[in-house]
Amino acid sequence: MDESTGADSRARRPLIDINYRPTAAAYMREAWRRREFAVVVPAQDLRSQNMDTLLGQLWHLVNPAMLVGVYFLIFGVVLDTRRGVDNFLGFLVVGVVLFHLIQRVVQDAAVAITRNMGLIQSIQFPRLLLPLATVTGQTLAFLPALAVTLVTLLLTGERPTLRWLVLLPVLAALFLFNVGAALLAARVGSSVRDLQQLLPHLLRLTFYASGIIFSVDAFVQSEAWRRAFALNPVYDLITAARWCLLGQPIETWTLVGLICWCAALPAVGFVAFRRVEHRFGA
Amino acid sequence: MNPPEPDVRESGLSGSGVTAGRATRSTASRVVSEPNGPASVGPGSDVTVRIDEVHVHYRVYEDPVAGLKQLFSQGRVKRKHRIIEAVRGVSLDLYEAETLGVIGANGSGKSTLLAAMTGLLPLASGTIRGRSRPSLLGVSAALRSSLSGRRNIVIGGLALGLTRAEIEDRIDDIIDFAGLRDSIDLPMRTYSSGMRARLHFAIATARLPEILLIDEALSVGDEEFRARSVERIRELTAASGSVVLVTHNMGEARRASDRIAWLDAGRIRQVGDPDDIVDAYLASRSTP
Repeated sequence: MDESTGADSRARRPLIDINYRPTAAAYMREAWRRREFAVVVPAQDLRSQNMDTLLGQLWHLVNPAMLVGVYFLIFGVVLDTRRGVDNFLGFLVVGVVLFHLIQRVVQDAAVAITRNMGLIQSIQFPRLLLPLATVTGQTLAFLPALAVTLVTLLLTGERPTLRWLVLLPVLAALFLFNVGAALLAARVGSSVRDLQQLLPHLLRLTFYASGIIFSVDAFVQSEAWRRAFALNPVYDLITAARWCLLGQPIETWTLVGLICWCAALPAVGFVAFRRVEHRFGA
Repeated sequence: MNPPEPDVRESGLSGSGVTAGRATRSTASRVVSEPNGPASVGPGSDVTVRIDEVHVHYRVYEDPVAGLKQLFSQGRVKRKHRIIEAVRGVSLDLYEAETLGVIGANGSGKSTLLAAMTGLLPLASGTIRGRSRPSLLGVSAALRSSLSGRRNIVIGGLALGLTRAEIEDRIDDIIDFAGLRDSIDLPMRTYSSGMRARLHFAIATARLPEILLIDEALSVGDEEFRARSVERIRELTAASGSVVLVTHNMGEARRASDRIAWLDAGRIRQVGDPDDIVDAYLASRSTP
């Protein structure tokens, strides 16, 4: 129904090509007008996920808690990788929980177009809302995990400081990064179905290259190599979050990398996505 | 077997009232009816959509039996495909306040033409222009069967571009129209197929666009619901909107349409008075 003014408009209007592509500004306005779709629908999907389980909605909290538990068992008790980190469990949990969010966003966004083909073929709307919905959905699912993280930090002896508040802009940057990553993943996933097979491996590689289960500062001796890690946006985001919550050191390079990635990726994703979105339904 | 009158096209001779009777072979490639004369119902009144020499092609990929073998032996990455010409040169005008029925055998290009009219399918050639972009009636792809009818009204409404507030305003009307007062809070998967179809229709028509395309969606529910469905669609044409109705149900085509276009192998075979076209169509089918 998008730009039509409804059945009650009787004014004689000129005929326009129905294959017109709106300007970026008009496109964004329409997406904004329909923003509730990208919030309500994923929220309802989250609801329906665990509807038939015994624990029901509690799973959204139990799941991240169990994730933390398993990592604690393996890396805190069985193996000993705590070299160079004071609060290794806290260090681990911040990394794992943040990475989990990014991973789910990318995986879901990669199938956002193919999975919603029925919707795309029956209703005209800015397709941007589909990858955006995966970001909002996974962000909503992330909130209980964030609560588990904060509780874990308190239990492992961290005390809240004013620095914890800096986490808010870091989370905003994370959201922007996720939007950009989701747009790109959706765009590539829409035409290259092989992405779905490739993604688990790419994501696992990113996992090990982001210093989630080890401290890059303690493990990597060469200054040049440490700087190279700043090129990895996931490492930048996790390191910034660890600086806020755990007082882990952060270098200027990392901060610059974080700002560049989170500013550029949504813009690149938007342009790349819009360039092909009119072909999605064909 | 070829029917007696191939490729007869008639696009609304102006000033001839509701419909020009029998289809006539037009000597010019296409009779264009500009908005002129008294604005009556049907041809002669204002054009809402103009479809001009439209071709739509599909690319269908063949089952890649020897995918790897092909890739290595011939070094060819391109998959084998076949081009299906679903719509081959259709020209048609749609007028204010009219319901145009579209009939034709399976595979004649009806649904493709409809999809092309929404701008969802790229055209191989030709143009489609309209006062606004037509919308397909249908919201079922957005709905979630594990959620209640009420939650699905919200989801479906948002998918159609309504705001939360607009949905709240209409939710009671939608529930009543679907006749689901008692079961609206039950999961949709517990509904019978009739209940589900009624809910889909009620949500999809909660706000009607100016130009509405219907693909086999009026034949749901019982006799009484069908009558109300047709009534609701009539509201749209009464407000100067246009409706395109694709159907295989000839009774419905006669009752609901002001004009009928008969599609055959991607081309328009005849356009005109509903009874005449349906009779000709049925005759062509019974004498192959």
